[in-house]
Amino acid sequence: MNPTDKEHVERCRDGYPEDFRLLVDRYQKPLFSYLAVRVGDHAQAEEAAQESFVRAFFSLKKLCKPESFYSWLLGIAGRVAKEQLRSRERRKKDREAAEVLTLAAADSPQEYPLEKAIAVLPEIYREVILLRYYEGLSCQDVAARLDMPLGTVTKTLSRAYALLRQELKVRENDEERVNRIEQT
Amino acid sequence: MNCAECRDNLVACAEGLLDRDESLHCRAHLDTCADCRAEYKAITSLQQRLIARGQAAAEVRLVESVMQRVRQEQSKPERETIMSKLLKHRWGFGLGAAGFAAVIILIFILSTPKIQAAAAEVMTKGAQAVAKLTSIHLRGQLRTFPGDNFSFINADSPFYTIELWKQFEPELKWRVEKPQRVVVMDGRSTVMLIKTGDTGVKVPQRTTSAFDTEWLHRIANLSNTISNELDNARAKGWKLNLTEETGADGRLKSIITVLVKSGVPDNDYCKNTFMGNADTRRVYHFDAQSKLLESVQIYLTRSSGEVQIFNLSQIDYNQPIDPGVWKLELPKDVSWAQLPEQLSKLPDNEKYASMTAEQAARAFFEACARKDWDEAGKFMSPLTPRLKDYLGGLEIVSLGESFTSKAYPGRFVPYEIKLKGALWSQTKKWNLAVRKDNPAGRWQVDGGI
Repeated sequence: MNPTDKEHVERCRDGYPEDFRLLVDRYQKPLFSYLAVRVGDHAQAEEAAQESFVRAFFSLKKLCKPESFYSWLLGIAGRVAKEQLRSRERRKKDREAAEVLTLAAADSPQEYPLEKAIAVLPEIYREVILLRYYEGLSCQDVAARLDMPLGTVTKTLSRAYALLRQELKVRENDEERVNRIEQT
Repeated sequence: MNCAECRDNLVACAEGLLDRDESLHCRAHLDTCADCRAEYKAITSLQQRLIARGQAAAEVRLVESVMQRVRQEQSKPERETIMSKLLKHRWGFGLGAAGFAAVIILIFILSTPKIQAAAAEVMTKGAQAVAKLTSIHLRGQLRTFPGDNFSFINADSPFYTIELWKQFEPELKWRVEKPQRVVVMDGRSTVMLIKTGDTGVKVPQRTTSAFDTEWLHRIANLSNTISNELDNARAKGWKLNLTEETGADGRLKSIITVLVKSGVPDNDYCKNTFMGNADTRRVYHFDAQSKLLESVQIYLTRSSGEVQIFNLSQIDYNQPIDPGVWKLELPKDVSWAQLPEQLSKLPDNEKYASMTAEQAARAFFEACARKDWDEAGKFMSPLTPRLKDYLGGLEIVSLGESFTSKAYPGRFVPYEIKLKGALWSQTKKWNLAVRKDNPAGRWQVDGGI
């Protein structure tokens, strides 16, 4: 198992800021993916992701639960995305364009962000999902990277899928309910 | 294949990891079972969603741009670094301390406002000068034992060369080497070779530092070095001194001196044995023109007087590093040591976990005396041929009462043994370091052999 988020955060706080690069490496892709859906533009999503990481770095001392680094990072990213959209809306006088952007930013009731669901997974499940899908490693490569048997990787993936589906189902039902209430 | 067996194999089936027969059985079951088919569809549907998200982000590379921005932001005076606060409120700390007994006191010796401004500028420019660091190479001399720990210091030893190569872009890699010990992080894993015993230790992942090389990495991470020292100064009451002088090359140098107090009591067994538990005076020399850090000296400060223990004489910034540096040639018969966190429980683990440190030391030495390497291996791994030759057939003269150190998580057991190995016929009197902060909760010999 790689060092945990908590260990990286604590080391950054203890004067080893270079450990932050390992946190960026671990979450750059899911964070980008999360932001790309929200801001609807590749370059803007990269910019927002970079800004989110930098803000996170300088706010590490305020993070009460270092083990929840990724959830906390998504919170920061959500705020950065909103700021970016507001700024774009201000710049673009064209009302239509602004509406399109706003729509792009809103989470579809059917598409609760996968990255938010991944954020609530226990660390080992999150790690396997990130390596398999965001790093694009095969199951064999994940096994080698985490120094675990292949069978353990498939079992961990299986459990991670079950937890993800459960989380997505609950969240998407919640959002559907909220939307229904708002429409009535 | 029934439903339970099929469910167990669904992910492996979806990943194409089943052998031909298993795959056929699984698919045959799916053809006949709607529930399992629905489950399989749900898994593959989620997989497709994950694959799409992963592919959309496949080309994203943010590590270096983020770390560069972090370094740049850190070097901006307006971010209110400790340095900028100190320089803005030159006398505030000392006066404030009078009202808060527990508050740290910083002593800032700055002769004129001109030097004060110059020092602030040097700090900022020094950090900015390395904000776009792609690689660094440090070469210094350390008073140490050639094969001992990377942070081990011994004021009575000669100087030995210690080097660090570190690449930040395009991928983090690093290597630290002293005469009998080398560690390489090649971007995938971190491997240390202790040449004296042909012993390897592997951390199966990337690290930013490992095996007690952190003190050297701290110097290499230049943009953070000074802020780290200042953070510690604030937290631990270390004294700082900023001065300027003309160097041997006739150029103006800005010199920062930090008086480091480790907090380890003077009568502690481990005091002044490692960088982390030593009281030192660290001197950083910045060139006023290039703004770059040029050299670092570290002095051990003892009641008997100061002695220089480290001299960083060469710093190469952004120079190409030979790819061969990231390759570690291992001997064919390398013995792999287990990391403490990988230590597993034995069938009769309780017998060992319930021992005192003295009992564990005795059991270890007794096993060595009768050359029972399986038993001795339960206390120390690996037992290399060299170690077996050294310890085999030994005779215990005495074992004392164990003691602790503030700087070590285990215990030390004083011992005297007579060595019987072919090359080692002598009496040895020393302290065996043992610790049990591992998952198995067993005492492990950690040093002092």
